[in-house]
Amino acid sequence: MPRPGFVLDVDRSTPPILFWRGENYSLEKLPADRSRVIYAPEPEAAIEDIDSAIRHALLNPIEMDPLPTLLFPGMKLTIAFDDISLPLPKMTRPDIRQRVIESVLDLAAEAGVDDVHIIAALALHRRMTEDELRHMLGDRVYDAFAPRGMLYQHDAEDQDNLALLGETPQGEEVEINKRAAESDLLVYVNINLVAMDGGWKSTATGLSSYRSLRHHHNTHTMENSRSFMDQHKSELHKSNWRMGEIMKKHGPKIFQIETTVNNDTFPSAFNFLGKREWEWNARDRAKFVASSAALSRTPARMRRNIFQSIEAPHQMTSIQAGEVEAVHKVTTANVYRQQLVEVQGQTDILTMGIPFICPYNVNSIMNPILVMCTGLGYFFNLYRNKPLVREGGVIIMTHPTTNEFHPVHHPSYIDFFEQVLTETTVPSELEARFEKKFAEDEWYKHLYRTGNAYHGVHPFYMWYWGSHALQHCGKVIIVGGDAPTIRRLGFTPASTFNDALEIASDVVGRSPTITHFHTPPIMIADVK
Amino acid sequence: MKALRVDRSTGRFMLARLVSGIDTGTAAKIGPLTLTNCEPPELVNNEWQRVHPLLTGICGSDLATVEGHASAYFEHWVSFPFVPGHEIVGTLDSGERVVIEPVLGHAARGAELPFPDAAPGDGDDYAHLAMPPLEPGIQIGFCNSTGGGWATELIAHASQIHTIASDMPDERAVLVEPVAGGIHAALLAISHASKTEAPLFAVLGAGTMGLSAIAALRKYSPQATIIVGARYPAQMRIAKTFGATSVVKPDELMRAVRHAAGCHVVGDYLSSGAHVTIDAVGNSNSIALSLRMTRPRGRIVLMGMPSEVTTDLTGLWHRETQLMGAYTYGTETLPNGTKKRTFLMAIELANEIRAEQMLSATYPLSEYQQALRHASEAGARGAIKVAFDMRQEKLR
Amino acid sequence: MANNYPAFKSRSESARRVLQRGARGIASAEKVASKGVAFWRRAGFPFRAPSVPRGVSVPPKEPHLGAYFDTSFARKPAARAVRRILVAGPVTGMVKFLARPTVEGTDRLSDLAKRTDVGGVIFAPNHHSHIDTPLMTTAVPSPWNDRLVVAAAADYFFDKRTKGTIAALALNAFPIDRETTSRKSSDELRALLARDWSVVIYPEGGRSPDGWGQDFKAGAAYLSIKTGSPVVPVFIDGTGSVFGKGMKRPRRGHVRVIFGAPLFPEENDNTRRFNERIEKAVTLLGDESLTDFWTSRQRAAAGRSTALTGPEYSGWRRQWSLYEHRKLGAAGQRRRQKRRWPNLG
Repeated sequence: MPRPGFVLDVDRSTPPILFWRGENYSLEKLPADRSRVIYAPEPEAAIEDIDSAIRHALLNPIEMDPLPTLLFPGMKLTIAFDDISLPLPKMTRPDIRQRVIESVLDLAAEAGVDDVHIIAALALHRRMTEDELRHMLGDRVYDAFAPRGMLYQHDAEDQDNLALLGETPQGEEVEINKRAAESDLLVYVNINLVAMDGGWKSTATGLSSYRSLRHHHNTHTMENSRSFMDQHKSELHKSNWRMGEIMKKHGPKIFQIETTVNNDTFPSAFNFLGKREWEWNARDRAKFVASSAALSRTPARMRRNIFQSIEAPHQMTSIQAGEVEAVHKVTTANVYRQQLVEVQGQTDILTMGIPFICPYNVNSIMNPILVMCTGLGYFFNLYRNKPLVREGGVIIMTHPTTNEFHPVHHPSYIDFFEQVLTETTVPSELEARFEKKFAEDEWYKHLYRTGNAYHGVHPFYMWYWGSHALQHCGKVIIVGGDAPTIRRLGFTPASTFNDALEIASDVVGRSPTITHFHTPPIMIADVK
Repeated sequence: MKALRVDRSTGRFMLARLVSGIDTGTAAKIGPLTLTNCEPPELVNNEWQRVHPLLTGICGSDLATVEGHASAYFEHWVSFPFVPGHEIVGTLDSGERVVIEPVLGHAARGAELPFPDAAPGDGDDYAHLAMPPLEPGIQIGFCNSTGGGWATELIAHASQIHTIASDMPDERAVLVEPVAGGIHAALLAISHASKTEAPLFAVLGAGTMGLSAIAALRKYSPQATIIVGARYPAQMRIAKTFGATSVVKPDELMRAVRHAAGCHVVGDYLSSGAHVTIDAVGNSNSIALSLRMTRPRGRIVLMGMPSEVTTDLTGLWHRETQLMGAYTYGTETLPNGTKKRTFLMAIELANEIRAEQMLSATYPLSEYQQALRHASEAGARGAIKVAFDMRQEKLR
Repeated sequence: MANNYPAFKSRSESARRVLQRGARGIASAEKVASKGVAFWRRAGFPFRAPSVPRGVSVPPKEPHLGAYFDTSFARKPAARAVRRILVAGPVTGMVKFLARPTVEGTDRLSDLAKRTDVGGVIFAPNHHSHIDTPLMTTAVPSPWNDRLVVAAAADYFFDKRTKGTIAALALNAFPIDRETTSRKSSDELRALLARDWSVVIYPEGGRSPDGWGQDFKAGAAYLSIKTGSPVVPVFIDGTGSVFGKGMKRPRRGHVRVIFGAPLFPEENDNTRRFNERIEKAVTLLGDESLTDFWTSRQRAAAGRSTALTGPEYSGWRRQWSLYEHRKLGAAGQRRRQKRRWPNLG
């Protein structure tokens, strides 16, 4: 029976606590009697017979007819799936998406459906490489569909293949992939890693265009999403749900398949990283000492290769299919069951170790903008009710934050870092002054459409993701990073964790309360 | 008179060159430069006047000479021994304050002017530069007969003398000469992009010349986008105040230009790029970079003295890029068709931009080692222009 | 041989020279050794086996070859340790050299590996060649590869003591008489499955005579129903041309091994029905190997899968259609050429 998450009150006999530092980690001693550490619940048991569970979900959907009755010869069937940003780290083969899609295809073949397109719903994310698609969909699906051009990636800049479905009462245009819009049935295969994913966000975001996205990917929305991980208090989701209404009226029939995974994040070689420190045995301690010492002597490139090759053992804990909103209710409950940790009250200083990966640097480099997005966008927002850190409090992150960018995946990030952040770091200001230019830059479009680059506007979204935190916090400190780079982000560099606490004392006084968000594994703090 | 003089000594040139990699100050000491007390130059005829320098700037080409890096090209265009220094503000015997336009043109040598009212730098035949009555020399500061600015005295021809208003401080006036160079380069750039509504200019290097060019670009092409690659914070700050649209590190420059042009990158080259790039650095790397970021059929204005470079010119050939030198100044034809002496425009512009903010430090002649060291490390030490200050010299 | 051209040694010529040299070496070694064994040649009984007097008959010995070959020694710890080395080294080397196998579909077994209620697994591949057996021992994924018994033709692998010992040791082969169903072997296999050993059984009962498959015999289905162990359908493509029936020596080639999703006997399954499901599953995999996942599913749904056993007619048309059938598999994609200007530094 997996133990639920819990909050540890640090005392004098608490061992130093693990802090992630990008492609490395360290142990930091937290001050006794005023520090807390939040641990994620242990992984739930995965479904044993996954293929049967998938089949059962397809045959017994929620508030919808069984999938086989929706399939008929001569129909246009489109299967859309979540891209490489989920799950993190990538899961061992076979990926959930492969299994679900194969099951759907089995049913489609039995029903005599010929016209099937499989589309990666990547919105403005980078196109994936063949290897990445093969990992995600399996060789069988790839070999059957890709050579015939029936498996491809959504292109949000291909004006000929976008369809405008309508406008919400708030004037938000709903524009999605034309093939999906014109299908008799759109099957969406989702992996719900965090509570933000899924629901109408799958289709209204994943298959849409900049024209449509800009209505909810902006500072106004993000500052009014408290947090965007809680769909009921999230302006982001409200906008997506409004768009969902338009899709219901004018869009294709959607058969939503949502899955959840447990938080079994690390393969056995790295399993100590998911354990509670006082439960580390001799082998775990030896692994920690050896690996952190070795990693600090390893060239950055090799270190990245090591960590990016991690395949997580996490596995499916639930699958539900059918009508989008009904399905998403069940999914959200399942995500919360795995990830929710109850926390009493806010804190003065929130500390977090930024790990090697975030949704946007799979097989890539965690650049400074993504560090900001991971810390202030993702980790900060992994709360319900109110943020873990009090208003005006301090966030301390540990990450090397080097001035390094993946030139293929993140070309517009480089320009964003060099030309936008030097001017301003205020989200609303950079949105007003620079977003349009980046969004409409022909070269970024070209790289997005033909290469493996994130769309030109994507770094802005990363920055908006952190806008709620920027507004909320009094100070952000990054420990152990490259000082000029951190300053350009508008944050304060500190060389050691203790220095960071000293710097923070300017804002929160001499004996502040400290809370460490011990993630990964992913969790959501339910702050009472 | 007290003067810093460069002698023709191959051995000392080579020594200087060897040592200059380590320290310019030492190179200056053991190199061809010596601080001497010597006879002032004689007036050639009554068109010439005696000038007592107040401030004289240290220019990049001066440094190159002192460090023994000067190109063999100049062998026949200069006459040893000479006193360097051509960015001069001084007083005449009459007490009038003047700036010197250093080029030794037709008038100075009594040759026929290429056209009426030509400036010293005008004309398309350089024969006069090596002709009597003077020893060969392209400018004051490279000619044995006239002396140079790193001294307490020199002579200048009437055509070279520009009187300045009394409210113009010496510190501003000493920068008129480099500003004139900047204006000349900027106008070469602007004329090439004259058909464009909103031209895109890239400026590589933000030393005195680069900064002057930026100021001039802004003045004579107000609607232009000017993107500057500058290495040091002081340069970046001034570039911004002189009107650069955006200032980035040199290795970010190409991306900034691409972003501004909204073009593609094909291999190492921008598919389009800046209409004109002003290269105020002038080495292999800067020229290569300029080639990469200048749009096809664009122009590269080479303001920095390049010496010997190794560059792949395939791109220049394929893109039909103009590679154009910008040595000095003369008579400019403005976009509206009027003609004007560059130097007069420079005096005007120097006043407008308060050019003295580029002058970072002054040294007496006796501290020439420190002065040259400071000049060679100007950027890193937060300086733009270093000058010699002769106002306290006893011999005056 | 008069030859005015520059000396050009064909491979066979140089090979012959090596062989000659080797033979000479062996001959001299033999000469030395023969002196040592001369005594035994000269000495008679009791140093040599007795001769049998005329008129008496010696009772026949218990059969120990063929289906009667006792292979239990091969499942003892020591033998397993040796086998691990043999499989990792020479067997894998031989298979890689001859067959260059591509193994696909092992992801379909990932759940089975995690299930605690499933012990032994029955792998049911089609059968074209003797190389299928070493191929399967190398292709079956963990955790089954360590406890894997291969049902092998008793008359081929176990006809000689040494051959049988090697087969049992290296491949963990288990003799099965393909002519008659022997109670003994099926009982032993059931016992093995119960002790969490997995078994490779070729349901076709023998190698394909002409490149097409044969009807499935019910052995695997029977065992599965009796023990509850799942059957994993496997399709092996291409071993027929590496070392097919009737070939004197192997020829190098490329083969593919495709694992299918495991099949469990359902409640109302009898041996015949379950056997049909197994055959269908292997047929589908065969189609998948020659076309692709989607096409094979569509054809299966429409009942248009190419039967493993091939068309009904015989003679040249049967061979002809085999060729057509195999050509489907070649519909690959061409690799993109490098189109960039070479970087010469």
